[in-house]
Amino acid sequence: MKANKKFSLVVLAAVAMIFVAWPSHLPAQAATADSAGAKRWSVQVDKVDPGDVNLASSFQIAIYENLFDELDKTKTFKQVLRTGDRNATDVPDLLILKTTVEKYTPGSETRRAVTTVSGATKLKVRSQLCTRDGKVILEQVVDGNVRFFGSNLRATHNLARNVAKTIQESPLPQPSQEPTSTPAQTSEVSSILAEQFER
Amino acid sequence: MNCSTIASEHAPHPYRLIYRTAYLILLIGCSTAMLAQNSSKPAGSTAASEVRAIHLLGFEGAKNNAKGELSIKDNELQFQKDGSPAVPVNIGSIQDVLLGEESRETGGTAATLGKTATPFGGGRVISLFAHKKYDALTVEYLDGNGGFHGAIFFLDKGQGQAFKDELVAKGAHVTQTENQSARQSSPEVNSESK
Repeated sequence: MKANKKFSLVVLAAVAMIFVAWPSHLPAQAATADSAGAKRWSVQVDKVDPGDVNLASSFQIAIYENLFDELDKTKTFKQVLRTGDRNATDVPDLLILKTTVEKYTPGSETRRAVTTVSGATKLKVRSQLCTRDGKVILEQVVDGNVRFFGSNLRATHNLARNVAKTIQESPLPQPSQEPTSTPAQTSEVSSILAEQFER
Repeated sequence: MNCSTIASEHAPHPYRLIYRTAYLILLIGCSTAMLAQNSSKPAGSTAASEVRAIHLLGFEGAKNNAKGELSIKDNELQFQKDGSPAVPVNIGSIQDVLLGEESRETGGTAATLGKTATPFGGGRVISLFAHKKYDALTVEYLDGNGGFHGAIFFLDKGQGQAFKDELVAKGAHVTQTENQSARQSSPEVNSESK
């Protein structure tokens, strides 16, 4: 009986200790996260290069604007700047996101709605994260499609979301240690088909 | 019988006047309707300084997919969502104005749900007719820091060109040629680019 009491007291004390120690552990974690956050990159989104593809300017603009929004949403970067922004000159750790369209299949919203299986709008871009001096530190090929519901321009939103997602998931070098002659991490994201069901 | 013909031929003056007035009203009515039908195509080509538009994205301070009035006032391009204050952009900061064509499904979420609920694939038939063509007006401009912005507006078909012309007349820069707008119009085609 006495042994049981002792045992329960010990367990209780242990539990209490855990509760006492836990909150102090959380701020410590937050502090380390903050210190890591202080060394985050900033990014400047460049205009979309249509390449050899005959892409409507509304699509180019929609990709650019959606990229800006989606990169901002990920909170991966300290600052997301637009191309031409004069503040970019003062930003120390700046990456430039370059986007080149590689393939575009104009679809049809009507055909999608009527047949379900055809009429998809497809976009494929090569996106590169470069440093100021032009070194590519990340290169990916990303898709953005609309297969079922949504307007053709919805593909640009899906594409931007996929680009932001892949950047978020890719390990970037620390801002202080600028990449020297390491080859760019090239990931062929052949099919990130995040079709949207929402309009 | 004779009497009746004679009566109609020699109807009293007030009746004849009423008949003639009625014919005249009918004639004017029909011709007005026909003219209205003919002129409905380039509806926006007359008064373009304020048009109804859907702001798709990119106009700083305005909500995406918002319906409102797009207008040119003094030296500003303004978009005002119904019941909200207007969001202005200086026309001098506009770098380019481009015109295209887009088709969009009408009816919104309610229509989509309705189509889904329609039995025997009836929703697909509705989809065939539930599309509307718009003029897609793309406005490229710079903000106060020199940052590049692009805004896309959907205007009723036929209104885009007049609005673009007015913007250019007010001082908006246009870098690309007219052919560009024809080339960039992306009707729903199936061919693959590159």
